[in-house]
Amino acid sequence: MSAINDATLFSLRLSLQVATVATVLVMLVGISVAYILARKDFRGRVLLDILITLPLVLPPTVTGYYLVILFGRNGFIGRFFYDLTGWSIMFTWYAAVLASFVVALPLMIKTARAAIESVDKNLINASYSLGHSELETVFKVILPLSRKGIIAGVVLSFARALGEFGATLMIAGNIPGRTDTMPLAIYTLANSGEWSTANFMVLFLTLISGFFLYITNRVGMRAV
Amino acid sequence: MSILLCFLSFLVLGGRYAEATESLTVSAAMSLKNAFEDIGRVFEAKHRGVKVYFNFAGSGTLSRQIESGAPVDVFASASVRYMDNLERKGLIIKASRRNFAGNSIVLIVPSTSRLQVSSILGLLNAGVRRIAIGNPGTVPAGEYAKEVLKHFELWGKLRDKLIFAGNVRQVLDYVARGEVDAGMVYASDAGTRPDDVKIAAEVPAESHSAVVYPAAVVKGTGSKALAGEFIDMVTSENGQKILKNDGFKPLGKERP
Amino acid sequence: MGLSVNLLKKVRGFTLDVQWEVEDGMAVLFGFSGAGKSMTLQLIAGLMEPDSGSIHLNGNVLFDSAMKIDLPPQRRPFGYVFQDLALFPHMTVKDNILYGARGLCRDERKAGVKKIVGLFRLEGLERSFPAEISGGQKQRVALARALMGNPGALLLDEPFSALDNPIRLEMRRLLKDVRRKFNIPVILVTHDIIEAYTMADKIIVYAGGRIRQAGPPHEVFGNPVGPDVEMLVNMAGTASLPLCADLHLN
Repeated sequence: MSAINDATLFSLRLSLQVATVATVLVMLVGISVAYILARKDFRGRVLLDILITLPLVLPPTVTGYYLVILFGRNGFIGRFFYDLTGWSIMFTWYAAVLASFVVALPLMIKTARAAIESVDKNLINASYSLGHSELETVFKVILPLSRKGIIAGVVLSFARALGEFGATLMIAGNIPGRTDTMPLAIYTLANSGEWSTANFMVLFLTLISGFFLYITNRVGMRAV
Repeated sequence: MSILLCFLSFLVLGGRYAEATESLTVSAAMSLKNAFEDIGRVFEAKHRGVKVYFNFAGSGTLSRQIESGAPVDVFASASVRYMDNLERKGLIIKASRRNFAGNSIVLIVPSTSRLQVSSILGLLNAGVRRIAIGNPGTVPAGEYAKEVLKHFELWGKLRDKLIFAGNVRQVLDYVARGEVDAGMVYASDAGTRPDDVKIAAEVPAESHSAVVYPAAVVKGTGSKALAGEFIDMVTSENGQKILKNDGFKPLGKERP
Repeated sequence: MGLSVNLLKKVRGFTLDVQWEVEDGMAVLFGFSGAGKSMTLQLIAGLMEPDSGSIHLNGNVLFDSAMKIDLPPQRRPFGYVFQDLALFPHMTVKDNILYGARGLCRDERKAGVKKIVGLFRLEGLERSFPAEISGGQKQRVALARALMGNPGALLLDEPFSALDNPIRLEMRRLLKDVRRKFNIPVILVTHDIIEAYTMADKIIVYAGGRIRQAGPPHEVFGNPVGPDVEMLVNMAGTASLPLCADLHLN
């Protein structure tokens, strides 16, 4: 029996799809929030910081628990969606994206924020004094100079999204052919004694994780 | 500092105390949760100084654990298949094997559901978008459900609507929380959450293989005699009464 | 006309309360570190907000707390040279200078850059990065960038403090050149007494967040008003020799 069968290919494709979509969302939201936390002062800033960082510290199953309470068919938010559209996110690959997004977001925000805060304030002031708007300054000065931190954040987020298990299991379920990402599929295979079928996925995940570490090392070591 | 010392000594002494009593570890199918916990209490009352530890999960999962050498004394499965598998591999004590209960399958819907589903064929109803069953690969309740669907020639048609759960209580939970529109569980499970689910239809017994729960003492157990006594209690009048009260169909002391 | 400011700002136990104006030529904000000189420049440029006051440049109101006018820094026509120059490390010299071009079309920008590169003798360095050029060259890039947008006034925050003496002299000459060519008021912040004396048309003496005296250098140095000014001026006594040597720069 080949270790690379259709189910494995499905899980592989699904994992990459979920992780990519989640990472793109994490980048968009994460960089924006990181900028706001780094540059703006407002009431409730500390509370926002804590709320966003929680999934980083909470066990994934606790995060999953909250996601189900919020987005399940009868959840606080889920029930509005269901009443409006008859659609629920549970048991879909979107739920897997949601779970990955929530757990990876704090990683992105923390690294991006540190990178943004390390940009010399004088450079930002110089940009304003030379007539450039805040948005222009973000794209022409701040982001280019925070590039390394942001890349590190993206790589970390992708790795985290790819390996998400606990929260995903609870809100997306482990439906074969639908939501069984690689970590979940490996779990199921091990549970039913089909260890060798899981070999390919285990190898893939190991190699790609090693690759991510390599990238973050390269990005980190190159001095400005 | 002194508080730390107190705490540590409590842990050590506490551990000692646990070792002084005898313990029994029972791996049982999830559907047996309520019944076995009751039986366990009766067993402990009868055998002073014995503590029964339960490990509830899908039968498939439990059987894999035993294959991997989990230190379990008794195994109670929701289908003969997993027990046969362990027997073939010489992992249970053949002579101790007993069938102790049966069950029937029911189709349940959320108690708030307004769908008109009064039989299995009602699952074809367009309003039924998601149906939960146990994962047929690892959960006996899922296997039975698959048999039922195949019997009614619905397996192919309903494939896309199926949501697989890791054990039968999770199926129950999905239905109870309204995450799915319908599900198939044992009659005994439906009775544990009467406010959240309602039985839409009884599944005819001939649409699936008989639900038989076997139990056996696991080879390599350190408490062979005690394990045997536990199984005896399950098959005793007392045990059977508890099972019947929880919705199981009693079988008695028959050998397989 | 010219630049007139009236600023009040309280920050962490320090109060800045200053009023002065400059018609044209070079005004030097002079005083010890921490007296509020740099803060004044930041407030003028709009990088910090005053508690109250007003800022007028060439008849235009840039800030007026009573009239609730507060133009953002992008809309205030100043050329600002920061203390550490703040050149963008990830942009070439040319791009740094181009960054200062406000509202010019593409051709205007190209011509403008060429002209200003010539003016500041930066030919050949256009493609270099700030990290690759000397301190004096960096200075010239910072000035070029600030002047690229045709500002109404030039603000310089201790621009020469990090330079060696020979280059300082050169830069001071350059600044006087700039003043002549661009004909806009130049506000220079410094705690260097020689710079203050030799460069200023008007010296504005800062101490403890307030103006102690303002006037042409010979007046301030000749007739210091109050203990603060006296103390500052007396430091000149120890540096009289180079003082004489520099006088011919005027």
